[in-house]
Amino acid sequence: MSLSYIIRRILGAIPLLLGISVILFVIIQLAPGGPLDIYAENPSVSKEALAQIAARYGLDQPVPVQYFLWLKAILVGDWGYSIRTGRPVLDEIVLRLGPTLQLGGLAMLVSLLIAVPVGIISAARRGSKLDGTVTVLSFAGISTPVFWLALLLQLLFSVQLGWLPSAGYQSIGDGSFIDRLRHIIMPAAVLSLATVASWSRFIRSGMIDVLHQDYIRTAYAKGRGEKAVLFYHALRNAMIPAVTVIAVDFVTIISGAVITETVFAWPGIGRLFMESMDGRDYPMLMGLMMMGSLAIVVANIVADLCYAALDPRIRYD
Amino acid sequence: MKTKLTRRVVLQGILAGTTAFATMRVLPAMAQQAGGTLNVGLTYELDTMNTYSTGFLADAQHTVIEGLIAPDKDARYVPVLAKEVPTLENGGIVLSEDGSKMTITYKLHENVKWHDGEPLTSADVKFTWEAVKDPAFIAESKDGTQDIDSIDLPDDYTVVCNYNTVKPNFASTLFTFGIMPKHLLEGTDLNTSSYNETPVGTGPFKVAEFVRGQYVVLDKNTDYWRTAENGDALPYLDRLVFRIVTDSNTLITQLQSGELDMAVSVPYGRASQLEGANGLEIVVGQQLSWGHLDFNFRNELLADLAVRKAVAHAINRETLIRVQGGFPTPIKSLVLPIFDLYDDATPEYVYDVAAANALLDEAGYARGGDGIREKDGQRLSFAFVVQSGRADDENVQQVIIAQLKEIGIEASADNKTGVAYREARYSGGYDLIYGRWITSADPVYSTFYGSEGENNGQGYSNPELDAVFARLENTLDPQERKAAASEMQRIIAEDLPAIALTQGVSVIAKPVELKNFVPNPTNMTNFVDTKEWYLEA
Repeated sequence: MSLSYIIRRILGAIPLLLGISVILFVIIQLAPGGPLDIYAENPSVSKEALAQIAARYGLDQPVPVQYFLWLKAILVGDWGYSIRTGRPVLDEIVLRLGPTLQLGGLAMLVSLLIAVPVGIISAARRGSKLDGTVTVLSFAGISTPVFWLALLLQLLFSVQLGWLPSAGYQSIGDGSFIDRLRHIIMPAAVLSLATVASWSRFIRSGMIDVLHQDYIRTAYAKGRGEKAVLFYHALRNAMIPAVTVIAVDFVTIISGAVITETVFAWPGIGRLFMESMDGRDYPMLMGLMMMGSLAIVVANIVADLCYAALDPRIRYD
Repeated sequence: MKTKLTRRVVLQGILAGTTAFATMRVLPAMAQQAGGTLNVGLTYELDTMNTYSTGFLADAQHTVIEGLIAPDKDARYVPVLAKEVPTLENGGIVLSEDGSKMTITYKLHENVKWHDGEPLTSADVKFTWEAVKDPAFIAESKDGTQDIDSIDLPDDYTVVCNYNTVKPNFASTLFTFGIMPKHLLEGTDLNTSSYNETPVGTGPFKVAEFVRGQYVVLDKNTDYWRTAENGDALPYLDRLVFRIVTDSNTLITQLQSGELDMAVSVPYGRASQLEGANGLEIVVGQQLSWGHLDFNFRNELLADLAVRKAVAHAINRETLIRVQGGFPTPIKSLVLPIFDLYDDATPEYVYDVAAANALLDEAGYARGGDGIREKDGQRLSFAFVVQSGRADDENVQQVIIAQLKEIGIEASADNKTGVAYREARYSGGYDLIYGRWITSADPVYSTFYGSEGENNGQGYSNPELDAVFARLENTLDPQERKAAASEMQRIIAEDLPAIALTQGVSVIAKPVELKNFVPNPTNMTNFVDTKEWYLEA
């Protein structure tokens, strides 16, 4: 893998992102409603006032003109201003990125720590009672609605037991490490559930594929113990299919775990996205979705690089 | 009103004084406790702390910022920074000789200090007008700025506003929302100013910390300019915290777990869960909002009064209320009963299916094979619009559709979102439309039913009513206004451009210990007067 490969991938991403931006812009415009919806019930906002507000944000321009104005601005690093708060889009995103990264990062870490061993063990004990139990639990995990689980945890740990705060990022006037940890436990647990379930399935099937390969038989024949074979010889190759899934899930987490953040009043990207959708805050939505697209493109490049690191046979040039 | 000092009055005074004194002696607990924090849940995302630019009700903002006057629990204006509410009687309002313009004079309290210690002066009031009026400032409401030609400041505590018109509803705009500090904001860009995060006001609470997406912490203003009648320093509460919890399930959970003490917009369906939970009580407050069914007069079938009357008789408000959790209250006039201008003699169409059928029979609408009435080949079949996504409105719509079907009228849901809904509302893209208006304490009704009304998408025009509006909205004489308002209510009830159905309420969860809390029905929110709230130990 060469540097020129990475540069080519990055250059190739530019037209891709441009295409995405056009599609996103059109989709947002096609969606019913608009930024001025919040005035629907307020009789004192007149048609003239609405027209003035629309003009101020360029909403009275034809859509293609709006797009080119947006593109021109974004090329010089101006992501525009949120219609809802009047603050720069980039500032708002940066502000919300920290809590999302913390929540997403912890959820990823927990997911990996659980999913990898669980996936390996169920593959190694394929067809056993343990494997069956893990399979059932995985499907239960994948199909549990996030808001329902969140509600159950809140009722148990906050209302009944009173051990954990039911929502929020930190206590007012506290914000110490312990305090934040107490706040992050439940949302991170909820967020991990689905990923643990799906990742362990991918690692399990990857392992099963690999365990049939000749080199595994050779390793056993050479007298290596089971643990060494599983972790040293099999795992690396078994991870390759899982890497793509993990990379994409990571992006999902970064672009916002919308429901989890809303239910737990977590001040992250996901909730910002919800608010912006509700308010049809076009500049904010474009900013968030472009950031999400950018993250997907980057994650794919990183995933490709990871393949090469995991499997020396894979070479890009 | 002056009271003559007669012996009887003096005796009454002595008696009252003695009783008050005795009560105070017997009940030393009358003294109110200071201190404590109130955690309030906000169900919307706090966008800015600037009351002039928020897209939401300014709950948190009004604890910090004060206006010259404010609406009270009965939607009547009371003085705040001004010493009294200007009226014709007290000379605060003076009409020009030809009666076409007015001058409003506010006398300010002299002891008011901004949170930074600077004194409030008349210059701040003038600055507020100039700042809000400035086209560069992106405000939600610039209402009222254009009605003022100029403002004179004869001294530091007198503000004379020269209006270019007569505006009986002057109080519901501009200076009522709040005054901005000139010494801090002059020359700054209000769109990007830090004022939007940490406004400096004159109110009982100061902004200690505003964390976007999380909370705003408001600390007691220890130097607040007002004191309680018994001499106590105000406010009583040490701290008010507004936490943003947009998910209603989480809001309820946090109230149950005690993380939140109060929420002013509990979903109707969840109120029963909170009653008695964790020291909470439910208070139902009035709200200046009313649900109404409007007709489009461009449809000649709906221009027929008999059809409109039949519809009015066919709707059972009790059922509408039931589908909204039992909380709204029935109304018959578009002027809500809380207002002075409300006339209880307004004619009413009681729920009476037989009467509705009789009206339609008489007008010649016969039932067709499918049960839907028709006349001269025209079926009583209408497109019925509500704003989609609003569960309460959609439920109401379903009930009305069912009730109309009983009298042989077909209404089909034609719901629209956002821009499409508003466009339909303004331009009459409907036959029937149900919606709710939320108003200030001084609504201008001609905007809805005047021939040239901004919000009249119905194509409704009634010269008699226009004349009444002209009288109502260009006079300051209370008697004249009351008479005109009664006539307006009668005409609208008889001619039925719209049917007033229900008044909205707000369901408030509050701690039992919170005292002196009085729900406020206006768009100035329940938090417009927090200075005397206290927590009973």
